[in-house]
Amino acid sequence: MTLRHVWLVAVALLLCRSSSSLAAGDPVHGKVVFALAAGCGCHTSTDGPVGAGGGEVPTPFGKFYGSNITPDPETGIGNWTDAQIIAAIRDGFALGKGAESPAMPYYFYAGMADTDVADLVAYLRSLPSVRRPSRSHEGELPLARWAYRAWRLLFFRKSRPEAAALATGPERGRYLVDHVSLCIDCHTPRTRLGAPNLEMYLAGNAHGPTGDPVPNITTHATGIGDWDVDDIMNVLTSGRLPNFDNVQGLMAAVVDGHGGGPGYKAAPEADRRTIAEYLKTVPPVDNKIEDK
Amino acid sequence: MRLYVIVLGTASMLLCALAVGAHEGKDLPAGPIRERHYLMEDIGKNSKVIGAALKAGDSGPVAGAAENIQADAAKITGLFPPGSSHPKSRAKPEIWTNWAKFEANAKALQSNAGALANAAKSGGDVKAAADTMFDGCKSCHDDFRVPEKKKRK
Repeated sequence: MTLRHVWLVAVALLLCRSSSSLAAGDPVHGKVVFALAAGCGCHTSTDGPVGAGGGEVPTPFGKFYGSNITPDPETGIGNWTDAQIIAAIRDGFALGKGAESPAMPYYFYAGMADTDVADLVAYLRSLPSVRRPSRSHEGELPLARWAYRAWRLLFFRKSRPEAAALATGPERGRYLVDHVSLCIDCHTPRTRLGAPNLEMYLAGNAHGPTGDPVPNITTHATGIGDWDVDDIMNVLTSGRLPNFDNVQGLMAAVVDGHGGGPGYKAAPEADRRTIAEYLKTVPPVDNKIEDK
Repeated sequence: MRLYVIVLGTASMLLCALAVGAHEGKDLPAGPIRERHYLMEDIGKNSKVIGAALKAGDSGPVAGAAENIQADAAKITGLFPPGSSHPKSRAKPEIWTNWAKFEANAKALQSNAGALANAAKSGGDVKAAADTMFDGCKSCHDDFRVPEKKKRK
């Protein structure tokens, strides 16, 4: 070991010590989490750049635009601490704004394991910085922030996430579906107050996030009961349906990635298979979603 | 008894197929717009046979289904006459503004389906040929089909 090496190690140690109590994330694994999380697609407009904001989410409570989550210090999250970014992802509080609208599914991300969210934050910090002010939401409720605060109080039960996620098995499948990849977010219908109706877990949503119907993906005949694991894998890998038709729209975007970023197809094959295997164990719910 | 079950089963399957078809196409005007919808459904039905056969590791049914698709593909362009758009149709106007590409895609489906049938008959790489055909379906859908039917307000 040369003197130069010793010096580098000393600097590295100092840097580690001076950071906060949260372990520094690994941006390489963070990219995997980002892909599993469908590239946090609401925060990317159709043409990119990745994370620079602008994805549209029309809801009965106004039209929302994903914010800029690139490291730009003024229009993005460059000046936020790791803890502040994690609070925005898992806790529903955005720096300088207060309670987030339920359009941001923090109540599902709340179960994301500590290491996964820390790695995700490290990856977000590695995105090319884009200076683009986040677009204002349209048609929000009056006193919207108070409404979101009330919603959060009513419907959000904070739980202590795991320190690290399970690496394999059906429980990992459930973890991905419910807390990272968020199949649950679009495929579960909502109550009139916009809260997920968990009795209809994954049973489809006639009024999905883009206003279009989202299919039932439970094991019922009105869902995907006649699909096998490979059929589900094909959708998550290439968008291919069992009849060689292909998904388009939002589902295609979460598979391919938004604006050139990674999506499910860039996630590890083993994780896609784990999701597929878990979906085959989801209790059947009879709910026919009609094409509009 | 067994024959009875088979006859009943087939009859109910036919009825279901009719019911599904009627439901899906009933909102479309008679003529090329409705006919091309049924044509695409027939291609989907045959594709499903191919997918199931590949999964079962028995390429027996593949050639026949691929030949059906090949025959269907030959009819595609004729069912998209200029101006045959409709609010309930998912056909994009790009079909007519970029007709050369659309026509080339339909021809490619014909030859891809033919190649798949040949692969199945000659013991070639059926999976690779099926993947090529699927990639063509997807790329043409992405270019020329509206993602999902938007609800009109």
